[in-house]
Amino acid sequence: MKSHSEAMRSPIGRTFIPPPPVPSPPYGVQGLDPSGPLFPEERIHGGDFPAAPAPVYVDGDRVPDTFAMEAEVQGYDLSDFLTLAARNNPTIRQARLQISAQTAKALQAGLYPNPTINYIGEQIGVDVEGDKDSPGEFQGMTVRQRFVTAGKLKLSREKYMRRAHVSEHLAMAQQFRVCNDVRIHFFRALAAREKVQLRKELLKAAEDGAVTARELYNLGQATRPAVRKSSIALQRARLDVLTAENHYRESFRRLVAIVGVDLTDGLVSGDLMPEGEPISYREAVSLVLSESPELAAARAKLAADRVTVRREQVEWIPDIVAEGGAGYNFEAKETTAAAGVSIELPIFDRNQGTIRQAQLDLRRQQEEIRRTELMLQQEMANIYQQYLTALQIASEYDRVIIPEAKLAYQELLQSYKANRVDWPTVLDAQVEYFDSRLTRVQYLEQVRTNEVLIRGYLLHGGLMAAPGPTPPGHIDAVAKPR
Amino acid sequence: MSNTEQRRSFLKVGSIAAAFALATERLHNHAHAQTPSASGDAASAADSTPDADYDGFSRFKPSRGNDPDSDYYLGKLVPGFRKPAEGPAPFEAPDVPKLPYKMDNGVKIFELVPMAVQQEFHPGVKMNVYGFNESMPGPTIEVTQGDRVRIVVTNELPEDTFVHWHGFELPVQYDGAATLTQNPIKPGQTMVFEFDIHEEGTFFYHSHVAMQEAFGQVGWFIVQPKKIFDPPVDRDFGLIFQNFHIPPTHTVSDSWAMDWNWHTINGKSGPYTTPLVCKHGERVRVRLLNFSPMQHHPIHLHGHTFWVTGHEGARIPKTAWVPRNNELVGVAQSSSFEFIANNPGDWIFHCHMIHHMMNHMVRQVGPRIRDDASVDQYLTNLRSRPPVDASHQESFATPGYPQKMQGMEMSEDFMQAIWNRKEVRGMRANYAMAVKGLMTVVRVLPEDLYDLVMHSDQQVEKGAVFAEIVRRFGDPGAYQAAPKMKM
Ligand SMILES: [Cu+2]
Repeated sequence: MKSHSEAMRSPIGRTFIPPPPVPSPPYGVQGLDPSGPLFPEERIHGGDFPAAPAPVYVDGDRVPDTFAMEAEVQGYDLSDFLTLAARNNPTIRQARLQISAQTAKALQAGLYPNPTINYIGEQIGVDVEGDKDSPGEFQGMTVRQRFVTAGKLKLSREKYMRRAHVSEHLAMAQQFRVCNDVRIHFFRALAAREKVQLRKELLKAAEDGAVTARELYNLGQATRPAVRKSSIALQRARLDVLTAENHYRESFRRLVAIVGVDLTDGLVSGDLMPEGEPISYREAVSLVLSESPELAAARAKLAADRVTVRREQVEWIPDIVAEGGAGYNFEAKETTAAAGVSIELPIFDRNQGTIRQAQLDLRRQQEEIRRTELMLQQEMANIYQQYLTALQIASEYDRVIIPEAKLAYQELLQSYKANRVDWPTVLDAQVEYFDSRLTRVQYLEQVRTNEVLIRGYLLHGGLMAAPGPTPPGHIDAVAKPR
Repeated sequence: MSNTEQRRSFLKVGSIAAAFALATERLHNHAHAQTPSASGDAASAADSTPDADYDGFSRFKPSRGNDPDSDYYLGKLVPGFRKPAEGPAPFEAPDVPKLPYKMDNGVKIFELVPMAVQQEFHPGVKMNVYGFNESMPGPTIEVTQGDRVRIVVTNELPEDTFVHWHGFELPVQYDGAATLTQNPIKPGQTMVFEFDIHEEGTFFYHSHVAMQEAFGQVGWFIVQPKKIFDPPVDRDFGLIFQNFHIPPTHTVSDSWAMDWNWHTINGKSGPYTTPLVCKHGERVRVRLLNFSPMQHHPIHLHGHTFWVTGHEGARIPKTAWVPRNNELVGVAQSSSFEFIANNPGDWIFHCHMIHHMMNHMVRQVGPRIRDDASVDQYLTNLRSRPPVDASHQESFATPGYPQKMQGMEMSEDFMQAIWNRKEVRGMRANYAMAVKGLMTVVRVLPEDLYDLVMHSDQQVEKGAVFAEIVRRFGDPGAYQAAPKMKM
């Protein structure tokens, strides 16, 4: 009964109460000074990048150093980031090192076997005339040399040179992975930045909505719950700005991570609008099937596998091991010579198993090429669909929806000026105009990122380690590479 | 207007008024010296005229009369200056043309064309409605009791129509009550209506398709009596009041709407309504037709008490006349207001329905009520809006503020069109801010000022005629002219 009577005494609707206050901004809004740097406490000085990698040398050449940054760089365009990435992304260097490693392996595989020097002392202590021990019947030195037959070394070297060739294609692929990732994250950062701007416009509209609701309240034209709703909308718009800001920071940080420098400050500058003509599906598929570095690597690997088969096919042909030398025969008390030749008789082991394995690997690689083609086509089907859908939507937002929203907003403003329409109606149109521009940016981002994948042979993942030339299951685990 | 300018314009008006003084005396032979001279004392001039006084009621100054039962109480039967022999005063509906006729064997032949029209409610604001002969409301048909009329109706609408002759006791086949009495007049087709008119009074014609009526299709059909109504009037004005609902950014009236945001008197909306100008002391009749779709109009005249002397259909016997300040005129009803214009000045004459006292009322929120905010800021840069200015004046501490419409802007073109009409000459510079929607002005002017306003080519300063009336009849020491507007 008591609570009931208290409810009866509620002043709501019984005596004038000022409208509910505008809520204070959430944590973080105060830091969103649009004129200030993105991370005020982390402004960089000079070309000082604490996490710059140590110099790397390949074949005596120093892999180019990290990009010397100017202190006052404010806005970076795409080519800035691509240049930075080419110099600083570790996976590109990894890929180059892998080429050198394969070349080194080829060098090793073609080296001729070393001769062996033997000391021989035979029948040491055998009795000689006078029944006394002798230093031995024969003591001397021989030299043994394996003569490699059937061009095994040449084939081994060729095989690893071809694998180095595979690595070159893979390095190219890695370069695309990195560049594509730079482009993708650049466009994401660019879009994120535009979204921040539009979210701020929407925030101003929400602030206006909150003020308008209170103005209506004072005229008896809005209820208290309606004013509270405007506060909710305002706070949501503020959170949307914070989310967009956070998203921009993330995009920028991800971008500089791929680029491989520790940029902490700066803005991306560029245009989200694609410049060229739209790509047709036929173009997209033929481009990736004819020029994909992954496919080129797979084809090069097939050539390497052919040499592998040839190499294994000669493996059973015995090498000739010849040995010869001179010594002193203590029995005959004269200098004598020694000679020997050995040849392994390929009676049981004619390397049949490995030859078969190499042939199967070759056939596997043929299927691998086909598999790669199909995988690329499957991926292209998906990426192209996303590209096309986003392009269609973004184009129509550009061509029709945004201009219409803008005109609707303008006409209502003029109407408001002529005293013919209420301000809340104008605000609705304003929000719709800003919101349609936000949607356009979202789809343009998708257009650009998918376009990058289509033109860049679907390669991405610029911080995954560059793959080596050999897939699992290949003959490699021998002491001397062959 | 500066003080010097005011003085200069007073002098000019004064001298013009003096020049007309002689003519005035000659014109009003039965009420000579009735118009106070420019320099004279109004009250004494009026009092000195026998014809000015009717049983305690004065033709020239606000008065009631000695006895409510007197024929002259509140000017009830006080005649106008016009002699009955001159016939009825011409019917005048400002802004509405008169439909010409041809005679054929004693039959008056009128050609009426239902059609879509663009009607200029406000200067440059051309609304899409239906009317007749390029006009909304349609042109006035004016005949005399006993005439035979033949009305040739040619439908230029893209749809069927009917025309009903509202109030006439005519042969049923010509009643126009849609397919109850006739086949539709198809687009492009003509139908001839011919009947004798034995009635006298205030009638009108209108489409008998509901939405066409709501869309504006109406016109006066005035029948002058064979025997002139007694007492004779000097002025016989006609005003048709209508409501329309026209959405923002639009020009087509939504006749389906149940709410109205544009209001017209004779197709014009205040302040574009044309004032009714009469001379001091005249007997004035205003016939007012409410042809709004749904809304009744309580009509109020300032500064005078009028007699309701007739409705649509017929004149009211004098014993049933009612004196009023405010007369409720229902939908499709017409009231005749008669009064002696004995109180000089510009008097507002308006519907008293609050929401009819201005067009398209909008909520008073947004930039128009905010400090330092203007819509132009928004229009200059559509891509990025200005930050909201939430600072409000202290008056915002008053619950309910603001009730007065804020930030009303009238363009230069608009103001020029308003002031281009002779009927408004010499009115206060700010008068347009006061006359909105279903409002017009009855101007009661001493003869010299009437001639100055209506007939002279003189340049008349804004506010000069009003100030002169204050000078002659009011308390000039306490009067402040309107601030000069930039226009
Ligand atoms: Cu009204």
